Amino acid sequence: MIVADQLYKSFKRQGSSRRKPETQQRIVAVNSVSFKAEDGCITGLLGPNGAGKSTTLRMLATLVKPEKGHATIDGNDVGTQVLQVRKHLGFMPHNAGIYPRLTARENIQYYARLCGLSRVQSQQRTGELVEQLAMQKFADRRATGFSQGQKTKVALARALVHRPQTVMLDEPTNGLDVMATRGLRDIIRRLAAEGHCILFSSHIMQEVAALCDHIAIISDGTVAMEDSLEGILQRTNQTDLEDAFVQATQLSNSGADE
Amino acid sequence: MSFFIIMLKEVIDNLRDKQTVFYALLFGPVLLPLLLGGSMVASFKQLSIDFDEVTTLSVVNADKAPTLMEFLYSNNIDVVAAPINVQGSLRAGVALVVLEITDDYAEALREGTPAQLTLHVNNASKDSAKAARRVNAILSLYEQTISNLRLQHRGIDPSIFDSLNIVQNDVSSEGANGQLLASILPFLFIMSMVMGGFYLAIDTTAGERERQSLEPLLSLPISRTQVVLGKYAATLCFVLLSTILTALSIFTLFKLFPVEIMGGQVRFDGATLTRAFLLASPLVFFISALLISVSAVTRSTKEAQTYLGLLMIFPMAPFFLLQFLNIRSTLVTMPMPMLSQYQLLESAVLGDVIPTLHIVLSVVGTLSATGLLLLLASRLYQREKLLD
Ligand SMILES: Nc1ncnc2c1ncn2[C@@H]1O[C@H](COP(=O)(O)OP(=O)(O)OP(=O)(O)O)[C@@H](O)[C@H]1O
Ligand SMILES: [Mg+2]
Repeated sequence: MIVADQLYKSFKRQGSSRRKPETQQRIVAVNSVSFKAEDGCITGLLGPNGAGKSTTLRMLATLVKPEKGHATIDGNDVGTQVLQVRKHLGFMPHNAGIYPRLTARENIQYYARLCGLSRVQSQQRTGELVEQLAMQKFADRRATGFSQGQKTKVALARALVHRPQTVMLDEPTNGLDVMATRGLRDIIRRLAAEGHCILFSSHIMQEVAALCDHIAIISDGTVAMEDSLEGILQRTNQTDLEDAFVQATQLSNSGADE
Repeated sequence: MSFFIIMLKEVIDNLRDKQTVFYALLFGPVLLPLLLGGSMVASFKQLSIDFDEVTTLSVVNADKAPTLMEFLYSNNIDVVAAPINVQGSLRAGVALVVLEITDDYAEALREGTPAQLTLHVNNASKDSAKAARRVNAILSLYEQTISNLRLQHRGIDPSIFDSLNIVQNDVSSEGANGQLLASILPFLFIMSMVMGGFYLAIDTTAGERERQSLEPLLSLPISRTQVVLGKYAATLCFVLLSTILTALSIFTLFKLFPVEIMGGQVRFDGATLTRAFLLASPLVFFISALLISVSAVTRSTKEAQTYLGLLMIFPMAPFFLLQFLNIRSTLVTMPMPMLSQYQLLESAVLGDVIPTLHIVLSVVGTLSATGLLLLLASRLYQREKLLD
């Protein structure tokens, strides 16, 4: 389970050497992000480019520290209980980032070993994942020249290798074709059915509408609305998530302009 | 323990990279010593004469001087018949030198008058001049033997004529050529260390950022210090391997082509090389740490190559500094990494006595600098900017 409470994060503006007030020298990537992602549910973090989705996920993955606010993953604070959080969390960042000179299997086993599995255990676990994600065909090939779908599968397997309770995926369907996307959705549904907490970021409305039980709409670093799909449609008086999305972001932006 | 797994992975991963393997295991340890050491050995070979090496000498009228021929033979010179056109074959380089014995040689010897020998040389050719020097040396030895016999024959002690017995004993270890050859050893060692770890360090740090595999790696339940240590240990493995291979190839090179320099003062035997390797070994740690911390700052492999390329001046700087400035080993230079190893290795090759204090200072200085660099590297890995 993920609980985020008013997360805030800013970055130094690159190349602003002129003497400007401190506030103008920093880009606020995440302003106020609060939401909850339950176990056994697929939660979607829906927002346009630059909304702060990746930054939010990075804070939750303990890669960067939130400046303000708190968040817990399965009860562990992301600011202080870093190793505990990482043990409970499987994170698949925006880019697959797999090692091209290692085979798919070696890529997965490397992470398994780093997560503390023994050699035998890691081989066993990798074998399981290769089967679950249907990677038999390319499992023993070096990753150079893998297709986007193959890379994503390896990266996903890597994120799942230590059986984390909570799984976070940053735009996992990026660059996947229809069949691969469907395959990935099935895997995500299965994980949720097994009781995992899934947080899933995307800027594609249809995808979020099709997959997620729970949606948090994020825009300009702020979570504007958080509810189930029906809840959001009802609240915004719309029939389509896209319209609802526009409505929700406008509601939150009224008054506060950048 | 995680650092060990990271180290193993990085070593295996990089062994599959042709570029890394080429520079670490072939360029530094084999090609560089062969190119630098080989050309130096070759030039020494040209200057120094190996009297044990059997060569041939063309002689005109060999049958007139059987005793001389025997003497030549016993001095590792096989006599062959001279070419018909002596001058032509010398100019063409077919024969290096030709010894001509006059028709009245035997008669002159018998009568105790000067017997004439002509040595045809082509001084334009280094090889010919070198061969002439060797033959001359042997002939003057023969001449001395005959003179002594003649004197004894007349009842005179030949040693009267040796008014002076000059023995040249060169005690300086500063002979220009020997010095250069001695400084080539630390140069080769340090170069191969840098080349050994260069591409692995870049690949495991900047390369990992560029491939965007750092983000998932850092979200695993391991500390970033372990990550840095793992990458450091992997670099260390390659640098160490490269250094050992370099020592072996230098040993082989000088074993195959032994050179007698400055009366044997410059040594490249097994014991000396082992000593040099041990004196240089703290640098394995230092250079690995330097490579890792510099490439940890860089964002891309290209940037890392630029920075580390500039860093290559480091191993070369002491080489030129010491060539021109003649900085002596002192308590001040000893704690300095690189510089102290240069001086220590030079001393080792020249057979100088090295004070224990110097060794201690060199080891302590280099390892402390290593510690600081590692601390810096792990600091750099704690930065959030690392993921930009
Ligand atoms: N390391 C950084 N340094 C400076 N600015 C950053 C950094 N990371 C993010 N930002 C800025 O913060 C804002 C949010 O970025 P973020 O990557 O979180 O967006 P996103 O929702 O993931 O977008 P996308 O859909 O394009 O992936 C952007 O304006 C971005 O430029
Ligand atoms: Mg993003």
